[in-house]
Amino acid sequence: MADLRVSLCGVSLKNPVIAASGTFGFGQEFDALYDIGVLGGISTKGLTLEPRLGNPTPRIAEGYGVILNAVGLQNPGVEVFLRDDLPFLRKKNIAILANVAGRTIDDYAAICARLDGEVDLIELNISCPNVKCGGMAFGVRPESVKEVTRAAKAALCRTPLIVKLSPNVESIAANAAAAQEGGADCVSLINTLTGMVVDIERRRPLLANNTGGVSGAGIRPIAVRMVFEACNAVTIPVIGMGGITCAEDALEFIIAGAAAVQVGTANFTDTLAMPRIVEGLHSWMDRHGVKNLQEIRGTLRLNG
Amino acid sequence: MKELRAKVLENVPVAAGVNRLTFLLPEAVEGLRCGRFVNLSVGDGAHLLRRPIAICEYSENTVTVCYQIKGAGTRLLAQRRAGDMLSCVLPLGNGFVLRENEQRVALIGGGVGVFPMLSVLHAYKGSGRQFYSYIGFRNKAAVCAEEAFKALSACCAIVTDDGSYGAFIASERFGGLRVSADAERSLPADRKDEGGQAFRRMNAVAAFFEDAERAKPDVILACGPLPMLRVLKAGLAERGLRVPCYVSLEERMGCGIGACLVCVCDTEGGEHARVCKDGPVFSIGEVKL
Repeated sequence: MADLRVSLCGVSLKNPVIAASGTFGFGQEFDALYDIGVLGGISTKGLTLEPRLGNPTPRIAEGYGVILNAVGLQNPGVEVFLRDDLPFLRKKNIAILANVAGRTIDDYAAICARLDGEVDLIELNISCPNVKCGGMAFGVRPESVKEVTRAAKAALCRTPLIVKLSPNVESIAANAAAAQEGGADCVSLINTLTGMVVDIERRRPLLANNTGGVSGAGIRPIAVRMVFEACNAVTIPVIGMGGITCAEDALEFIIAGAAAVQVGTANFTDTLAMPRIVEGLHSWMDRHGVKNLQEIRGTLRLNG
Repeated sequence: MKELRAKVLENVPVAAGVNRLTFLLPEAVEGLRCGRFVNLSVGDGAHLLRRPIAICEYSENTVTVCYQIKGAGTRLLAQRRAGDMLSCVLPLGNGFVLRENEQRVALIGGGVGVFPMLSVLHAYKGSGRQFYSYIGFRNKAAVCAEEAFKALSACCAIVTDDGSYGAFIASERFGGLRVSADAERSLPADRKDEGGQAFRRMNAVAAFFEDAERAKPDVILACGPLPMLRVLKAGLAERGLRVPCYVSLEERMGCGIGACLVCVCDTEGGEHARVCKDGPVFSIGEVKL
């Protein structure tokens, strides 16, 4: 069997398949369907210092090949996570990425300080399109990406920092480079694209929040292009995501240069999507005589 | 809870825009219960969300659901034929459970909300309980499951918003129950059809309140559109009826298993509950409607 192990900022993962933030809670519900210990890692539901209630409903809608969500960072707060969810995840022997958000730069620094040494990696959510303060405000301009990354990094002594980038920007390459300059150990992308679905009978947006984040298979070509551009702009590892549904989809990102991948929306369509992707990677690599992921990572050759 | 590929046995219309779908489970599934739901894939690759649909009836290896054909997803679901395979995640949610002391049970259902009520009748058939069913539809064309409600309820009111159909029917067949003479009666008329038959515009909640004193329920179960449940909550408070009441809620869902926090409802305590995992059945006093 092929070797699927990857090392991410010094953290070893048994395979490159990580549950994307927001689709997987803190893992306990999916663990009732299959042993989530087969995964490479989990990025938690976005955490804030204090509990948040999130947006009104409806929080989800559908487009062709995509979904839109506007949950708005509902979460129980970092202390409840540490008390109720972290001990369970620890037992699962998977990489734990704490996805964190804040309203101010001080919030980001404070939550990073609280989680330093408690989790394997911290994923800075500066790209949530569904909350007014915090989230995407920091993720748009390279200057603010660098500033919030620097503040978060300064608060961390032990845990490596991933910065999750928004696709709703002028230049993904510039923002990836800004994260690296700010001290990020890794970047992950793409977060959702901002979109809208209209209920034509009521002549209103279907989502209570009016707009939401577009994700799912339909956005994958955009995500692959952006991951490729980010990989060329930085020397730190890149985690790729956006519309991955099967092993072949994941391989597109890896060949484009991603060190690992995250899977989100596919968990809704197919609750067993991630274990199937892990199996599919094994069988694809065995069929192609590829012994480990390093052999194919970043091997994309452009035409012409 | 499992994700399974099930074989469609039947997928047929039962009323205007409503289909009944029965599928065969490839293996035993624990925890099938009235009021729980299944999350069905519409399976075309373009519609990524599963459709959560209440269980209507089940056996050891089959599950029947009834659904309204409303949007693109349910239209695709309606195209499934006997023999097709269907991906389903089940059973989900908490469901209805009747306690030993809850012997007289009022069931209030509106529209496709009648099917979770029907699931209770099927599940507790032969338990000796007396069910008083109040089921409402938009109009005569939407009326469905009438025979099942009549057969399994001690007394059943079928009403329509436009008055195009309606009746209070007492069933002598239910466990040998004796029904008083006045139980079987016509609804007061505010409309007559061409044959002179009298009908009345009414909804399921109004039918229940009209009958509540006679039915004297130990517990009330309800499912239907949000405005219907609001009227029920307000009506219980106005009348000072302190009967335990449980409602089954509907919300657009993501994962359906409690992970994504998409399908929340407001609780009276100022928090959020997950409709898919903490519900869909809630005590009516627990949730803001």
